[in-house]
Parts: sequence; structure tokens; C-alpha cells
Amino acid sequence: MKEFIAILKNELIKTIKRPRSFIGFGVVAFICLILQAAFANDGREILSLVTGQLENTLSIEGQVLNGNLICFVLLQTLIIQMPLLVALVTGDLVSGEVATGTMRFLLTRPASRTKVLVAKWLAGMFYTFLLLLFLGVLALFVSRGIFGADDLIHVNSEGLTVIQANDMNWRFAGAFVIAFLSLSVVATLAHFLSTVLDNSITPIVSTMAIVIIFTIIGMFDMPSFNVIQPFLFTTHMISWKDMFEDPVPKQEIINSCIILFAHIVVLLGSSIYIFNRKDINS
Amino acid sequence: MKRITVILFAVLISTVSQAQEASSLINAVNKKFASVNDYKAKVLMKFALPGIKINTLAGRVYYKKPNKLRIIAPGIFFVPKENPMKDIPKLLANTKAYTSIITGYETVQGKKCAVVNVIPLDPNLELIIGKFWISVKEPLIYLSEITTKENGTIRTQNYYGKYKKQALPDKILIQLEMKKFKVPKMLAMDVKKKSKKKEVASKKTGEIYLLISDYKVNTKLSNSVFTKK
Repeated sequence: MKEFIAILKNELIKTIKRPRSFIGFGVVAFICLILQAAFANDGREILSLVTGQLENTLSIEGQVLNGNLICFVLLQTLIIQMPLLVALVTGDLVSGEVATGTMRFLLTRPASRTKVLVAKWLAGMFYTFLLLLFLGVLALFVSRGIFGADDLIHVNSEGLTVIQANDMNWRFAGAFVIAFLSLSVVATLAHFLSTVLDNSITPIVSTMAIVIIFTIIGMFDMPSFNVIQPFLFTTHMISWKDMFEDPVPKQEIINSCIILFAHIVVLLGSSIYIFNRKDINS
Repeated sequence: MKRITVILFAVLISTVSQAQEASSLINAVNKKFASVNDYKAKVLMKFALPGIKINTLAGRVYYKKPNKLRIIAPGIFFVPKENPMKDIPKLLANTKAYTSIITGYETVQGKKCAVVNVIPLDPNLELIIGKFWISVKEPLIYLSEITTKENGTIRTQNYYGKYKKQALPDKILIQLEMKKFKVPKMLAMDVKKKSKKKEVASKKTGEIYLLISDYKVNTKLSNSVFTKK
């Protein structure tokens, strides 16, 4: 165990110290701040695009443009970009070291290959968690600081739900947990491809290609796609939004979490299997 | 010929008398409204709006003559754009701006009511027609239908109780014509939900139910209450 902790510590330091790890934080900070500034200037006009159809007959009272809404919009926007940021780091964890030749040196230590691989995977998970935590602080707390906290107007294809402000914290906590699970699938996929492939760029690009293809298949409501959609992890990556339904569809969320978790188990298991049988030649 | 003249004369007399009766009913209603310069009260709002889910909310309602009305409640809620609570007293007060006539008698909430139609004299006004069910025994509006060019018809049912003397209702049911709130699946980024069979784009009725209690009448409310912060 001591040995594993030492490897893990080493992997965490390596992951955090790499310049590319900071790109993710920079992008998240930039998008959050630029969107918050845009909402502060033009928020009411943007909102009227959605609420306009109501405003003929009803007046909306209360602070519609508030920190909770901005956080929701930021999450919705960034969940598209976050997989790329996660894959940028986790897609290089194994293949990068194989390409530079440091993996052979690492494997000369008495620790098993499984421990080395799991330590790298955990370092990737830790990075994903930090990135999401950073997003959470910027999107939720900074937005609430700027715009205040009030009820959330949640819009989906079936209508509009007003969720009370005192009912928000647990929903956001649940949403961030599901978002973490979703991004963990992407991180594990990138980690898996990084184990299979020796090039450091290909796993990153391949991960993004898979995410894009699955997302496009999931977007179209066609009978031929409907058969495979429930099994695609991208379909369940947006399950965090279910936390803002009223009532919360618990069973749907649990099913999505099980599918996401199953992806992680299968991908990590496959990574371990392949890595233990892989010839590291360089 | 003589017969026709008699019939026409009878119709004319009846129309004039119905118009006079309508005016006297409206004047009596206006008298009641005139006794209230302002009020504040507790309000509980329940919503049944198509495509909108919102919890019941408690707040306070403030009114000041001629047509200042504000509901203050924690959070986000919806009120009709043309709120009958403030618009009806203002509409009826200007008796020179419309003509009124009784078109029949109906029973509303067990009370015999005259159905008074109010038609504006100026065709450019937003109001097309106002229909008021006014009790013949006491000058209270139990039901009203205001039809405007922009917002369709708003139907309001008033239930009176403790504050009947001042014509202040305990319960108000506002029904308004509105389209079901809908956002395209792609715009809502709602890819998990499967499309349902297309609904016919018919107009639906939205309902806002107000339970009002603890009226404080003529307390000289400050105008600042009506300024949104």
C-alpha cells in the first residue's frame, strides 16, 4: 500500500506540474468570466428569447437573472468543452510516457503494472475532480456573488419549471456529482486509449472523436438511433440536468449513473488487462 | 304599421331602461371601489399554467388608486400582464369612456347577477369588450371577462367573504388564454427526452388562484412600495 501511495503521489505531482494541466483551468476561468460579463450586460435580452412567448400574457416577477441560472447555463455550456479539457490531460498519461521512454524506467520499480496504471488513472480522476471543483466555485459561488441567488427557471422541451432558491444547493451538489461521473467516463476512455496507443496525440483526438460521434448519434430522434442511444455514455452525460426536474426522476438518474459507472469499470478493467500484456519497447 | 311602431317603441324603451339599469349598477360598484383608496393584504398564490410548474407562493399584495398594484413574494412568480385586480376599478371609474348594457341575468355562485356588457366608445382602445356579472342585490362583481386586442380574454371570478363591504374578495380565480410554454428540444439541449406526438397548437387556459387575507384598508400606502428595486 505504501508503495502504491508513493506511486500515486508521484503521479499526482507529475499531472499537476504539467503545463497542459493548466490549460483546462485557464479555459474554464475564461469561459466563466466572459459569460458572466456577457450576462451582466445583455442577460435580459438573452432571457427574453426564452421567456418571450410568456410575456404576451404574463409578467415575470422576481430576479430571473441570478447566480443559480448563470451557473446552470455555464454547466450546460461547459459540459460540451470539458471532455476535451479532461482528455487533453488523461489521454496522455500512459502513451506520453511510453512515447518519451520513461514508462520502461517506471516499470523497473517493484510495483506491479496494475498499481502503476491505477495510480495514473487516479491521478487523472483527481485532475478531473479539481477541474470540476474549479468550475463549481467559479460558476456557482462567483455567479451568486455577482448576480445574487434566487429561484431557478429551468427550461426543457416539456416546459418550464421554477425551482425555489432554498431547494438549489442539494440539486447543484447532485448535478456536480453526476457531472464528475460523466467526465470520469471520458477520462477513463482517454486513459484506456492512452494504454492501447503509443502515440501521445492520437488518444486525445480519438477520445474527442468518440465523444463527438456519440453526441451526434444521441442528438437525433430517429428510430435507428433510438436503439443504441441508451447504451451511449454521452446520452447519460447530461443526466445532471435531471437534478433540476420536479420531481427529480430518481430511477432515471440511478440508471444513468449505473451505465456511466459500468463504462468506467469496463474501460479501466480493459486498460489493466491490455497494459499487463503489453510490450513496452521504447 | 301601427303594430311595428309599437314593437319598435317597446324595444327602444326596454334598451334604454336596460342601459340605465346597467349604469346604475356600475355606479353602485364604483361607489364601493371609491371607498378603498389603498390596501395591503397577505396573499397565497397557486398557479396552473400550461407548460409551467411552479409551487404555491405566499406574499403580500399592495394596491393604491388609481391603478397601482404590486405583489411582493420571495422568488419568481407570474402575474397576468393585464391584472384585473387593478384594471377593473380603473376601467369602470371612467363612465364617460364606455357604454354599458344589461344583456341578461345569470346565477353565479348562487347569486342572481345581471350580465353587464361594457363597450368602449373609442375603437382605438386596447379593450374590445368587458362583461361583468354584477349581483342585483348588492353591487359586487362576481365574475368578469375582459377581452383585449393583445391579450385575448381574461376571466376573473371573485369570491367574497369577510371584506364584502369594501368589495374586496377573499379569493380570486384568474383564467387567461395562453399558449402552452414550449421550447424546441434542441434549444433546451434535451436530447434524452423522446419526442411526443405533436400537440395541436390550440390555445389553453392558464389559472392563477389568489387567496387574500388580512386586508389593511386605507392605510395611506407610500408610493415607494410600488417601485421595484
